[in-house]
Amino acid sequence: MVAETRRLTRREFLVATGALAAVACSPAAPGASPSGTAGKAKYGGTVTMALENDVVDFDPLKSRAFVDRNIYYQIYDSLVRVDEDGKIIPWLATKWDVASDQKSVTFTLRDDVTFHDGTKFDADSVKWNIERYIKTQGSQRAGELASVASVDVVNPTTVKFTLKSPFSPLLANLVDRAGMMISRKAFEAIPSADDFDRKAFKAGSGPFMLTEAVKDDHITLEKNPNWWGTDGGNKLPYLDKITIRPITSSDVRFTNLRTGDAHVANNIAGKDVPTAKSDSSLNYQEKPAYSFRSLIPNRAKGFVFEDARNVKAVSMAIDRQELLEKGYFNLGVVGYGTIAPKHFAYDPSFKPYEKADAAGAKALIQQVGKPLTFDLLIASGDPVGLQLAQLIQAQLKKADITMNIQQLEFAKILDLQSAHTFKDMAFTGWSGRVDPDGNTYDHVYTKRPFNDSSYSNADVDKFLDQERATSDESARKTAFRSAEKIYVVDDPARVWLGFGAAQLLTSKKVKAPPVYPDQIVRYHLMSMAS
Amino acid sequence: MGGYILRRLLLMVPVAFLVTIIVFALIHLSPGDPLVIYAGEERDEAVIAVLRHEYGLDQPLPVQYVVWLEHALRGDLGRSLRTHQPVVEAVVERVPATFELGLAALFISVSIGLVVGTLSAVKRNSPLDLLATGFTIAGVSLPNFFLGLVLILVFSLAIRLFPPGGYAPLFGEPVDNLRHLVLPAVTLATASLAVNTRQIRSSLLDTFGQDYVRTARAKGLSEAIIVARHAMKNALIPVVTIIGLQVGAIIEGAIVTEQIYSWPGIGKLAVDSIAGRDYPVVQTIVLLSALSYMFTTLVVDVLYAWLDPRISYGRARS
Repeated sequence: MVAETRRLTRREFLVATGALAAVACSPAAPGASPSGTAGKAKYGGTVTMALENDVVDFDPLKSRAFVDRNIYYQIYDSLVRVDEDGKIIPWLATKWDVASDQKSVTFTLRDDVTFHDGTKFDADSVKWNIERYIKTQGSQRAGELASVASVDVVNPTTVKFTLKSPFSPLLANLVDRAGMMISRKAFEAIPSADDFDRKAFKAGSGPFMLTEAVKDDHITLEKNPNWWGTDGGNKLPYLDKITIRPITSSDVRFTNLRTGDAHVANNIAGKDVPTAKSDSSLNYQEKPAYSFRSLIPNRAKGFVFEDARNVKAVSMAIDRQELLEKGYFNLGVVGYGTIAPKHFAYDPSFKPYEKADAAGAKALIQQVGKPLTFDLLIASGDPVGLQLAQLIQAQLKKADITMNIQQLEFAKILDLQSAHTFKDMAFTGWSGRVDPDGNTYDHVYTKRPFNDSSYSNADVDKFLDQERATSDESARKTAFRSAEKIYVVDDPARVWLGFGAAQLLTSKKVKAPPVYPDQIVRYHLMSMAS
Repeated sequence: MGGYILRRLLLMVPVAFLVTIIVFALIHLSPGDPLVIYAGEERDEAVIAVLRHEYGLDQPLPVQYVVWLEHALRGDLGRSLRTHQPVVEAVVERVPATFELGLAALFISVSIGLVVGTLSAVKRNSPLDLLATGFTIAGVSLPNFFLGLVLILVFSLAIRLFPPGGYAPLFGEPVDNLRHLVLPAVTLATASLAVNTRQIRSSLLDTFGQDYVRTARAKGLSEAIIVARHAMKNALIPVVTIIGLQVGAIIEGAIVTEQIYSWPGIGKLAVDSIAGRDYPVVQTIVLLSALSYMFTTLVVDVLYAWLDPRISYGRARS
């Protein structure tokens, strides 16, 4: 399916993730062809995407929102990317060598890449971009690149990252925004960095160029005729233009697809999925995503969930299958921790709370010696969230656990979570990351930024340090699974309910690429149906 | 009259000043930290602290207000905390869409309201009047968000006559613009159309009971001339008040409608900014809304004098 580029073998993947130090990888790969039909794909055409919200920032340095990434993947190239199974593949970097002490990574770069503004991409571009992400005050990417001590240009197509200490998730971080390259010339042509957020026109090197952005109305992406990617011998991309329209209402988004006013959406409500599947003008694809759903107990001193047994009792009493069926309309999969089915460290046999166990939960609470009554904070004005909370409430009642639902404004809940002062338990999700480290480390490691439950367990910290320090996949897998057993079962940090779904709803007028677990549409592989 | 208008314009200054204080206090009283909201799921305390300092949000509230006011007086309304866009640019960019939607809705509600209201009054208690009354009750009772979704279901999904949302620029793609405009304009117009119809009807009926109308009838004038020449102008005074308020309320009225149809106007900006606690943008939109109210009430007052020569804003004659 890919001409100059081919799918990585398992051995190559191990190399790519650094399992074999200082060994070269395969050439860059734009990814899978649309449903394996390269060769008869049609060129030209315009598609309209109904996106759940408007893009907040066009600068990857500042981006904090998932929606931003839907555009970034079209206009910016990263050093590496992932294929539809979540495996890291070459992109702007054709290969990378990890030093034997694992404290440096040397990337070999493509030599045929120019930014949309005509400047050439080379090792200097990588150095400038990575240093900008690390050194700019208030950079959202600084944390993802915290392990990088320096970036040195070896020659125009070779760049060396020196690390402060071995850090295996680095490559996975470079897949996304921390590895995205923008044109220095385009950035410096705009006097204020604040304006670049909205006017990053022709600043990337990706398959499409940002040519127009009208806030809250539409974004126009036009084909980059000089993009380097190919698919089965076909030069990519196929489409001429993508129009992105932010439509916040899920109902209206779905209606736009049904009326043919939009051709692509990657987020529709669970209640609409059966209609989407039965509509003859639409094509619906779904696969488990990296995103997880969880209840966050406040485990700080003085709160009811300081006692791990209370958290575990809640986890035991919940019927996740029922929640999935009745609360999420079967969208997603049941799960128990942070490691999603598409993560390399996923253990399908890890099912600690497969059946709801009200009797076991009751016994645990008896051990604690005090009836369990607590508040669950949910965002007001969210009927689906309320329905889920009510289901959980009914399930817990069977274990004599009293859960009161407290609706607060979403902004207030975030405030309380940030301050670690929220009462009892909050309901929240995470959009998911390619490497299980991105789903785990900052959420359960002592005092990390997303550890809203104030969780701290020395063994979990130890195992997570281990998985970061080695690039050996099986060693990382062992460390992840050892940590997961503790933060899910022995000393639970949260009550995990399952994983979300990556969706791709397209009109039959377009030939859709496969759906990726990161939920981002690969427009470079999309074409009009012939 | 000139002195009256000038006095009214000068009075707007302290009112606008008070509005800014009240809005500033209210939005800061509401829970939620804008930087925590924008950080979303990627909350990094270190980054938030840097941004808090950069935006001056670590200053005491009175200081923040004075700094804002000082900049505002110089014409600098700051940048959006959410999108970093200059606030003036963000608002100016969206005024045409809201204005177009508001005017279209007003056109529908006033023109149809005048015709139906007048016919209802002239043919009082006729089947037409009863139908108009029924429509009035339904129009006032139906909330915008519900009516919007019903119209989308019927006219976009079932009949496929109009698009279910979105916008096309009026000057770039006029036909497409009109196709996109119909449903939101009808949604926005329905409630005020009902009010206008009812108001015109009852106002005309009041006027029909006046002595001068009876005199006109006694003179043998036709009903059409009585309505057009004699009754209508007097009946319009309360109607003008209501329509004036509707013009002033275009921004608020458009909030829900713009949200449903993804219409990129001020209303949608207001909702997004309030949800994100985007202080500078909310402050500016509320100020703009207050000023538009004040201006339209002034225009309405001036119109009164034109419609009814007995009303005078000059000094009382001795």
